[in-house]
Amino acid sequence: MILEIDASVQREAFALAVKVRLDQPATGVFGPSGAGKSTLLHLICGLVRPERGRVVLDGIVLDDVAAGIHVPTHRRRIGVVFQHGHLLPHLSVSGNLRYGERLLPIADHRFAFEDVVRLLDISHLLDRRPRTLSGGERQRVALGRALLCSPRLLLLDEPLAALDQALKRQILPYLRRVREHFAIPILYVSHDLGELLQVCDHLLLIDRGAVAGQGTLVDLAKDARLLPRLHEAGLVNVLRGRVLRHDPGEGLTQVELVGGPQVACALRREAPGTAIDLLLRPEDIALALAVVPGISLQNQLPGRITAMVDAGDRVLVTIDVGQPLLTEVSARAVAQLGLAVGRPVVGLFKAVALASRSGGSARFGAEDS
Amino acid sequence: MLTAEEWQIVGLSLRVAGCALLAMAIPGIILGWILARSRFPGKSLLDALVHLPLVLPPVVTGWLLLIALGRHSPLGRILNDWFGWRFVFDWKGAVVAAAVMALPLLVRAVRLAIELQDRDLERAAATCGAAPWRVAATVTLPLAAPGILAGLVLAFARCLGEFGATITLAGNIPGESRTLPVAIYSFTQMPDGDAAVWRLVGLSLAVSVLALVGSEWLARKLGNRVGSL
Repeated sequence: MILEIDASVQREAFALAVKVRLDQPATGVFGPSGAGKSTLLHLICGLVRPERGRVVLDGIVLDDVAAGIHVPTHRRRIGVVFQHGHLLPHLSVSGNLRYGERLLPIADHRFAFEDVVRLLDISHLLDRRPRTLSGGERQRVALGRALLCSPRLLLLDEPLAALDQALKRQILPYLRRVREHFAIPILYVSHDLGELLQVCDHLLLIDRGAVAGQGTLVDLAKDARLLPRLHEAGLVNVLRGRVLRHDPGEGLTQVELVGGPQVACALRREAPGTAIDLLLRPEDIALALAVVPGISLQNQLPGRITAMVDAGDRVLVTIDVGQPLLTEVSARAVAQLGLAVGRPVVGLFKAVALASRSGGSARFGAEDS
Repeated sequence: MLTAEEWQIVGLSLRVAGCALLAMAIPGIILGWILARSRFPGKSLLDALVHLPLVLPPVVTGWLLLIALGRHSPLGRILNDWFGWRFVFDWKGAVVAAAVMALPLLVRAVRLAIELQDRDLERAAATCGAAPWRVAATVTLPLAAPGILAGLVLAFARCLGEFGATITLAGNIPGESRTLPVAIYSFTQMPDGDAAVWRLVGLSLAVSVLALVGSEWLARKLGNRVGSL
């Protein structure tokens, strides 16, 4: 997928002027509320008309103000999952799922109804009415409806914002499944970085109606000017790994991270071998120059400093432990330890600091499962 | 129970009200939709024009219709020459009077029902590939149906009760334009009309209550299906 946007939208109290080229399979869009994230999505799916510029998806011009082109929403083939689902209340779940599918010629159907229903675990809901569904079920159905429209691009507009933490944790795996099983490009808007990073590797930061940054989290974290925005969005490491084994006696689960290192987190329920994302906040990590014996911290990951960004009183230090790990220490600690790029260090953190849910609630990790 | 003459009055009233409803249903729904959704110069003028019969004395509306549709007006002549339609002292005049008088009620109900719709649902349908006309037919209209239906029932009841404009335009001719209210008025003017008045008043009450209960029931049934009530 290649999405090129160079357009502006003017509203009474708000202006969006974006110039960006997106070519990643999944991009997470974040930024403060009112920054223009939703307006950007509405621009892409045609619900908002630009005053100036062009929007081009895979070589197809969707908007070109100078040439007088505006492809209406219903002809864009861009699926959207809205924050509140917006299921049609007078149709059953099945009617909702088939609403867009029916409008497409069979030859254009990319996904089988049964596959989508099975993947999203909604087969038992097909005869129900939307108002009888829980928030999480509603969003799964909305996701299924968007997929069955066989879109060229799937837009997720804060799809989890209306759900509580426990439900978010239930839905995120479905979003990941969709990304993995259906080769469909995703643009995911959220104000929560932890949520985005579990689905997307690539990020787009929107601030005050413009693109403020683009790239991986580690890329963005190199820019000191962006750090306040990253913190507002709940700056967090998302460590990918899989469950190795459980030690119920010690209350710990061992997880092998991608890239080799092994960490211990509070006891979990997933079967050994299950892929798992662990969230770890940078401020929950301490740095030492060598492995520290005789300490209650369960995790000590050796690595090498790859970047340091001065954010005033605090310094964001990226260390490579097999995958990049963002850590945050005080300026004083940097001076005391003599931290510098290239230096070997050890990242220390408690097992309970590793959580599996987003929203900056890592310190409640021990209550998980 | 009712005399043959009274049955004729009831039959004529139902025919007039039914025809008036048929004549105004589509224009009424379209007008309500336009007033709820469109923005164009002259919209407030259209709005005022539609609602005028609500505030004008019905006799004035009837007289204006008499002028507009009479044999001496261009419109009246065209309708008479081309279709053979006469409105003055004719049951078709009673239909026109009833329709014009009841239209504002229907338009207001439709407008309110459309305005209450969640535009986000229509946007969601559009992202599923539904063209605007399909969104209107499969989302907006079904969801607004209870409100529109209630408006139709209300308009029907208003048609049955129309008096001032009807008697001015169509007169008070038995079998032609003597509808229920006109007949009740006529019987009150007769020395021995009391019994007939009682029967027709009772009948009017029954029909009105039935219409109200029916519309409530239909709206609730539809509301359950739609999930908006």
